[in-house]
Amino acid sequence: MVENARRRASLQSGAGIARGRGRLSGVKRLLFSLALLLAPSSALAQPLSIPFTKSKLPNGLTVILHEDHTVPVAVVNVTYEVGSRFEAPGRSGFAHLFEHLMFMGTARAPTKMFDGWMEGAGGWNNAWTSEDRTDYFDVAPSTALPLLLWLEADRMKELGPLMTQKKLDAQRDVVKNERRQRSENTPYGVADLRLPEMLYPESHPYHHPVIGSHRDLEAATVDDVKQFFATYYDPANASLVVAGDFDPKVVGSSIERLFGQIPSKGKPQDPGAPSFDDTKTTLTSVVRDTIEDRVELSRVFMAWQSPKRFAPGDAELDLLAAVLGDGKASRLYKALVYEQKLAQSVEVSQNQGTLGSQFTVVVTARPGVAQDKIEAAIDAELDRVRTGGVKDEELSRAKNMVDAAFVTRMQSVRERASILNAYEAAVGDPGFVEKDRASYAQATAKGVTEYAKKTLLPKARVVLWIVPKKGGAK
Amino acid sequence: MKRALFALAPFAFAAFACGSPQATTNVAPPTSAAPSASAPTPSASADSFGPRPEPPTPAAFKPPAPVVYTATNGVTVWLVERHGLPIVSIAIAVPSGAANDPPGKGGLARITAQMLDEGAGARSAIDVSRDVDALGATLATTSDADTSTASLTVLKRNLQKGFAILGDVVARPRFEPKEWKRVHDLWQNSLKARASDPDATARVVFRAAVFGADHPYAHPWDGTSASAKAVTLDDVKSFHASAWRPERATIVVAGDVTKEELAPLLDASFSSWKPAAKSAALPIVTPPAPKGPWPRVVLVDRPEAPQSVIAVVRPGVAASDPDAPALDRVNGALGGSFTSRINQDLREEHGWSYGASSRISFSRGTGMIVAYAGVYTDKTGDALAALLKDIDELAKKGLTQDEVDKTRAQARGELVEAYESVQSVVSRLATAAALGLGPDYEARASVARDQATAADLNKLAAKYFDPKDAIVVVVGPRAQVEPAIAAAGLPKPELRDADGAPVK
Repeated sequence: MVENARRRASLQSGAGIARGRGRLSGVKRLLFSLALLLAPSSALAQPLSIPFTKSKLPNGLTVILHEDHTVPVAVVNVTYEVGSRFEAPGRSGFAHLFEHLMFMGTARAPTKMFDGWMEGAGGWNNAWTSEDRTDYFDVAPSTALPLLLWLEADRMKELGPLMTQKKLDAQRDVVKNERRQRSENTPYGVADLRLPEMLYPESHPYHHPVIGSHRDLEAATVDDVKQFFATYYDPANASLVVAGDFDPKVVGSSIERLFGQIPSKGKPQDPGAPSFDDTKTTLTSVVRDTIEDRVELSRVFMAWQSPKRFAPGDAELDLLAAVLGDGKASRLYKALVYEQKLAQSVEVSQNQGTLGSQFTVVVTARPGVAQDKIEAAIDAELDRVRTGGVKDEELSRAKNMVDAAFVTRMQSVRERASILNAYEAAVGDPGFVEKDRASYAQATAKGVTEYAKKTLLPKARVVLWIVPKKGGAK
Repeated sequence: MKRALFALAPFAFAAFACGSPQATTNVAPPTSAAPSASAPTPSASADSFGPRPEPPTPAAFKPPAPVVYTATNGVTVWLVERHGLPIVSIAIAVPSGAANDPPGKGGLARITAQMLDEGAGARSAIDVSRDVDALGATLATTSDADTSTASLTVLKRNLQKGFAILGDVVARPRFEPKEWKRVHDLWQNSLKARASDPDATARVVFRAAVFGADHPYAHPWDGTSASAKAVTLDDVKSFHASAWRPERATIVVAGDVTKEELAPLLDASFSSWKPAAKSAALPIVTPPAPKGPWPRVVLVDRPEAPQSVIAVVRPGVAASDPDAPALDRVNGALGGSFTSRINQDLREEHGWSYGASSRISFSRGTGMIVAYAGVYTDKTGDALAALLKDIDELAKKGLTQDEVDKTRAQARGELVEAYESVQSVVSRLATAAALGLGPDYEARASVARDQATAADLNKLAAKYFDPKDAIVVVVGPRAQVEPAIAAAGLPKPELRDADGAPVK
C-alpha cells in the first residue's frame, strides 16, 4: 500500500499545466520521460516505432502524418514552440494565459464554438503549456477530422487580430482560479511557485513558474496578446501531427489548402539562455526556504540543476530517479519509509527541459520526525550512490519499468500523436524514439554513478520545506 | 459522460476536478444555440476555408464481448483478445468492498486489499515490489464501495512470472505483524493528510451527508482516523478469508494472449487458490437508497482558503438500474464535458472557477449524482446559486436537441477510446463482473445509451436531477462562506469536520 508514486505520476514542478478539465490527468513530466524508454536490449521482438511521414509547407509549417486504422479515431496535435521561458519581463504566466485564449473564437468559429462543434461531433480537446512549448490536441471520431483541421487552421490564421478585452478578461479570471486551485488551495501546491525561483537566478528563463503571478496576469493587455500571436503563433513556429484513421492523400491536400494559406513572417528567434550552461550549475550553496501551508505532514523538496533533455547524463539521471524512488525496493523508499520509518512517501524525478533539467527528491515526513533527521537520511542514501554506485540489478529493473511504460503508452492514438510532436519539438525528428531508447539501453551503472556524483552536489542545491502552519493545519 | 469513474475504476483514480477521465458533453445550452446559428460566417463561396465541415454521425461502437469460461479451479474467466502490442492486463475481482466494512471499522476492505502485496507466498513485501518492477509490470490492489480488485499489467514475455506473483498476492498473502504495523501507521498518517486536502475532504463529507450515519456507503473507502485505529491485523485476515474467495471471483484478462495460452498459465498460478475452510463468504450487500432529509447544507470550515469547494449531491441509481446507461447522457449535458452547462456557466461565462463537472457513481446499490467545482471564495454564494439553477433547469426543461445529439456522439466516442487500452478494458469489465452485471453488460449498456431519445432523457432529467432532493456541501472559510450561503437563500448549514462527523 501507499506505494510511492511512479515517476509518471509525479511532480508538478517543471511540468506543463493543462487547460483543465480534460480527460488527461497530469500531462506533467512525461512527455519524454515516459515516452522513452527502452528495454535493455533483450526485450521486444518487434520494434516499437511509430510509422510517420514528415513534410514542410512553403509557409514553414511542419506536417507529420501517422496513419493507423486500428480504431475509428483521428487525433490532431499542434505544438507551438513557445512556453513560459519566452515571456517578457512583467508578463509571467502569459504563454499559458494565451493558451486559454486560443479557444476564445474567431469570425468563423465564434466564442464557444470551437469546443461546441468539436464536442457536438463526439470529440474533445485539451491543451497544456510548459516552460518550453505549448501543445494543443483534439480527439474525435475519424469522420470528424475535416472539422478538426478546419478549426485548427482557422485559429492559427485568425485568432490574434480578433482578440478583445472581454475574451482576455474571461480567461484571465479562469487562469487565476487555476492558480488558486492548483497552487494555493492544494496541499504543497505552493512548491511549484517557489522552486523555480530558488533553483534558477533571476536572469534565467526558468526562474518564474509557468502559471505566473496574479500581478503579471492582471497586467496582460489585448495588445500583448496580438503581439504574442503575431510573433509565436506563426506556421513556421508550429508542428502539426495528424494521427489515426484517415487517408493521407485526402488529408494531405486538405492540410495544404487550409494551413498552406496562412502567411508566415518566419520562425521567431528562440532567446535561449545565452549565459547559462546546463552542465554547470549556477547554484553555489545550499539555498533554503521554509513555507508554512495548510498541510498536516511536513514535506521537503530537494532540487538540483541537471543536464538538459537528451544531453549526456539525462537518461542516466532519469534511471537514477527510478533507482532512488520507484517501488519499495528503491533506495530512498526502502531506507526512509520501509526501514527507518521516518517518511510517509518518496518521489524522485528528472524533469526534462530544453535549457536544462531539474532533478528533484521529494520526501514527506511522518508526524513528529525532525527535519534534520529526514535530510540526514536522504543525504546518507545519496552519498551511498555517489560513493558506492548503483548495482546492475537496480539499473536493469529501472530500465524494464521504463520499457513497459513506453509500450503501454503506445496503445493510444492520442499518445502516439503526442510522442511524435514531442520529439519533433525537441530534436526536429519525430522518429527519434529509437535513439532515445538507445540512450537508456546503453546507460551503464558506472555512467549513472558518475552523473549522480556530478549532479547531486551536496553543497549546491535547493532545500525547500513545506510545513504545517503554527497552531494547526487548518 | 463517461460514467463516473470515481466509483468505479481500479486503475483510473479519480482526482475529482480536473483529473479524471471525463466525458464531454455539450454544447449549446439554450443560450449558445443562437450565436452558432447566426454566427457572422463569411459567405461560403468567398471564404478560402470553405464552409465548416459537418461531420456525419459517427457509427455506433459495439464493445467486444468477452469470451467466458471456467478455469479448472472453478473461477470464472472473461477474456478479450487484443493482439496489437505485446501487453496483457489481468484483474481478479471479488464482490466485496467498503459496504462490507464492519461497523466502526471503515476502511477494512481497502486496507485488506492493500495488504495483499505486503509479502505473499515466498516473497517479502520488498521482494514483491522488486520482482514486479523487474518485470516492468504494474500491480495494483484496491477496493471501492462494492468490489475489491487485484490487477496486473505486464509485457507478454513476462506473463508467466507476472501471473505467478499475482496468484500469490491474491491467494497467499503473508499478513505479517511487522508489515502490518508499518502499513497501519502509514494509513493513519495518510488520513491525517487527507484532512488538509479540500477535494478529498469534500468527497468524504458529501458521502457521509447523503447516506447518513451507519449506511454501508456512508463512510470513506479508506476509512476515518477513528476507524483506522480500530482495525486490527486479525480483522484483515478474516476479511481476506471471507471476501477474497475463488468461488466468487472473476478473472478478467485483456491483451495479447489467446485462450489456449491463457488457460495453462491461470491454472499454474491460481489452481491452488481455495476457499478458506473456516470462514463463510461475505454476503453480497445491496444497500438501501438514502432517505434524506433534503435539501440541506453542510459546511466544513477551511479558514482563509482562496477557493471554496462546492458540491451538490443527491441520490442517483444502482448500476444495474435500466435507467443507468442513459442517465450518463443526462449527466453529460449537465457536467460531463467541457461544453457542459455547469462548466460553461461557472467557468466560461463567469470566470468563477477553473472548472465544474458532474458525475454519477457506479455502484451495486443506489449511488450518488455529484455536481462539483472549486470556486473563488468571494464568489461562493453566486456560484452555488448558479449551480443549483443550472441543475434545476435541466430537471425542469430537459435537454436541448443539440445536447441530445451531442451526448450520443460523445457516448460513442468515449467508448471507442475506452477500448483502446487493455487496462481500461479490464477495469471496466472487472467492475461489471464484480457487480454481477454480466459479460454482455457493456454491449447492452452501450445500446441503451445510444438509443435513448430526447423524451427518454428528459424523463430521466426530471426524475434524477431535482435539486430539492440534494445536499449542498461547501468546504471553505466559514467566516466568509456562511453569510454567502444565507444570502443565496439556502438553509443554515450544519458544520462537519474533515472526517464527515458533525461538529458540536
